[in-house]
Amino acid sequence: MNMQSLNAAAPVATDIALTPSTATRIKRLLASGAGIIAILYIILYFLYSLWDPSALTADTVLNLTNNAAPLAMAAAGETLVVLSRGFDLSVAGVISLTNVIMAAYPLEGPLGALQSLLICLAIGGVVGIVNGYLVAVLRLQSIAATLGTMIICQGLALVVLDAPGGTVADFVTYDLTDVVFGVVPITGLFVAAVVVLWLICRCTNFGVALYVVGADETAANLSGISVVRTRFLAFVGAGMLYGLSGFMLSAQTATGNPNGGASFLMLTFAAVALGGTSLSGGRGGLVGSIIGAATLMLLQKVLFAGGVSSFYTGIFQGVMLVLAVVFGAVVTHVFDRRSAS
Amino acid sequence: MSSVPLPRLQAESVTKSYGATTALENVSLELVAGEVHALLGENGAGKSTLVKILGGVVRPNSGHIRIDGAPYAPLSTLDARRSGVATAFQELSLAPNLTVAEALLLPSLKRGALGLVSRRRTAQAAAEILHRYHLGDVSPITEIASLSLAQRQRIEIVRAMQHASKVLVLDEPTAALTDVEWLFRLVRQATATGTAVLYISHRLAEVRSLCGTATVLRNGRSVATVDLSDASDADIFELMVGRTKMAGDRPPGAPGPQARKALELQDIVGAKLRGVTLDVREGEIAGIAALEGQGQRELFRTLVGMEKMTSGRILVAGKPFQPSSPRHATAAGLSFLPEERKVEGIFATLSTAANIVLPVTQRISRGGFVWPSLERKGAAAAAEAVELSPRYLDFRIADLSGGNQQKALLARAMMTGAHTLLLYDPTRGVDVGTKQAIYAAIRAFTSKGGSVLLYSSELTELIHLADRCFILYGARVFAEFAAEEAEEPVLVAALTGYSRKDQTEAGAAA
Repeated sequence: MNMQSLNAAAPVATDIALTPSTATRIKRLLASGAGIIAILYIILYFLYSLWDPSALTADTVLNLTNNAAPLAMAAAGETLVVLSRGFDLSVAGVISLTNVIMAAYPLEGPLGALQSLLICLAIGGVVGIVNGYLVAVLRLQSIAATLGTMIICQGLALVVLDAPGGTVADFVTYDLTDVVFGVVPITGLFVAAVVVLWLICRCTNFGVALYVVGADETAANLSGISVVRTRFLAFVGAGMLYGLSGFMLSAQTATGNPNGGASFLMLTFAAVALGGTSLSGGRGGLVGSIIGAATLMLLQKVLFAGGVSSFYTGIFQGVMLVLAVVFGAVVTHVFDRRSAS
Repeated sequence: MSSVPLPRLQAESVTKSYGATTALENVSLELVAGEVHALLGENGAGKSTLVKILGGVVRPNSGHIRIDGAPYAPLSTLDARRSGVATAFQELSLAPNLTVAEALLLPSLKRGALGLVSRRRTAQAAAEILHRYHLGDVSPITEIASLSLAQRQRIEIVRAMQHASKVLVLDEPTAALTDVEWLFRLVRQATATGTAVLYISHRLAEVRSLCGTATVLRNGRSVATVDLSDASDADIFELMVGRTKMAGDRPPGAPGPQARKALELQDIVGAKLRGVTLDVREGEIAGIAALEGQGQRELFRTLVGMEKMTSGRILVAGKPFQPSSPRHATAAGLSFLPEERKVEGIFATLSTAANIVLPVTQRISRGGFVWPSLERKGAAAAAEAVELSPRYLDFRIADLSGGNQQKALLARAMMTGAHTLLLYDPTRGVDVGTKQAIYAAIRAFTSKGGSVLLYSSELTELIHLADRCFILYGARVFAEFAAEEAEEPVLVAALTGYSRKDQTEAGAAA
């Protein structure tokens, strides 16, 4: 009877690698979307420094970080949903809603800022719960369901503040967009915190499940993964990140705009795609999206520094997106072929 | 009482229906600890439904299942595992973006410090499991996507093995495996520890060498449980298909070698194919038999231009033809009925009539518009040819049963005015009555001079329908049989790569 247990006790052959070799890791990183977009970012930054000598100063870094942070957080949230094979349009609504609330009800001082942050996260979380319920539990199509919640949030934003205006608390506007230790942007710390949370999250059952659900729902189910729970959590996490995005946007603009989130919708998806996350789910990651968002914002600066009229920004962003997607497809194809042969 | 041990698994009058379709009706089954029990039946007999019920994927409408006498009604695959029942599914349940280690250990990966998943420890645990089940050469950190189908199947089996302390369900475990010895060894190990194994396979020879008893399902009912040593292949076969004589029996006078060739393939290479040569004569049904993954899918897709061939020639009615798209193939008179009808065939939101006339909308339109009445008129004639009741024509095709959908698709294929139909497993998952209608429609088509290239996963179907039968093995034509030579044992041998040369040479010498 105990052939199995006998074998189990026998030592496992030691020549089997339990972790990928460094070469494999590097190769994978290069082939992943995050690797490609990081290289693109460095190239762009290099161009920028050629045109604008101030590119490498702490001031510029601060500006770039502050500019990119709201979009980066929105894209990070969207990535969670996209990885689980879904789309979340509510990003625009949540950003608008949290932005007008920050402007209509400013809470002063550091404690006020903390309260505002929690309120933003809570709003995003609630919208995420609604989305999660509609999509994961009731199994509605994610685009339709989140389109609905987006419109509701936009409507609520107009109720709170019917025209651009209001003032965001000074502490949020000035202190939170500053630097600590002379060089480190505070918004950068927020982004770093999200990245760290994500890296931890990837090492939980939820993190693993997210990718499996996105790749093959049936297989995930048969493997004992709760598809409903995974999808639900993805939407809630996403909503909270949109709330954080709205908080940071308010810090940037210092004022409220009930349509402030609308311009984020397309750019969010652009950042996700640029960061190498497959829009059909299961492949990609949050870090790529954050760098993707940073790249889109950097491109604006580069074009400005290069003397290109801002009317052309959209064209360049679009072209870059198409090129990045094509390049990503080519790289994946080449790597797949190698590993197949 | 103690002299009669409780069966390990006992299923009593299990019934499951999906809407109006009854997949299982009063199925009963008993597995004794340590036995390997075969579950036999045609496609669509209800085997996979039973597998899903045992595995906790779907819940029966009524009936009882007991494990060691205790009621067993799993709510999920995990729940089933907790009761000691594990399943290796036919449609492998491994997500492509996982590593082997993750696939084996999900949903509870090994944790390291801080309660976070440790890739290293997960890989370590997986390496031990792989080693225990004689798969030590598979690296736990490779991605599932980069594994061959056979290796994926092994991983699927190993994953089930670890959890199957009481019952192991293997659904077509050898569909992609060439080396069955590995599996047999594991199955024997499992039964030695008292696990009961439910073994589902189309390969009778395999079933005989591994299993003692078999339960036969037919049309969702458990027909009989037989001792395999007492039952001949013919007995089992009869139980599987029933006594009803197959319609569409081959009419005398199949076209001989002098008949003109409607379709000729010369040494087709590309898209996995390694030199396929065959021909289809006018008025003939040429069958293709093959085990899973022998290139049949690629062959059909190449013929309609969905895969590129790198060398070889295709002749349609004697003229060279280089297919570039299904549309192009249709224009040349080849009409393809694809395998995944849900994905590749139907337009779920359109009416049945619209689905049928789709390829010929230009022909039936008036002034550039396709009026519903024109659609209906055009579709009615085609529907009649496949015995599809005209009342279905206005329904959305998604609301039709699988069999009727298939009839509609067959009608569509005929509607194109094609001289050659390429039918890929046209009766998969279709009930017996509809099968007969489809057979009759195919026969009627060839009796009018049309030609058919037919792949079927059911040998019986080919034996009854095909005028000639080509065996694909290793992505090339391995053997060819005329209708009168095509008998199941011969075909099965050829399917698994045993040449019949030895037999015929021995026969010639005698």
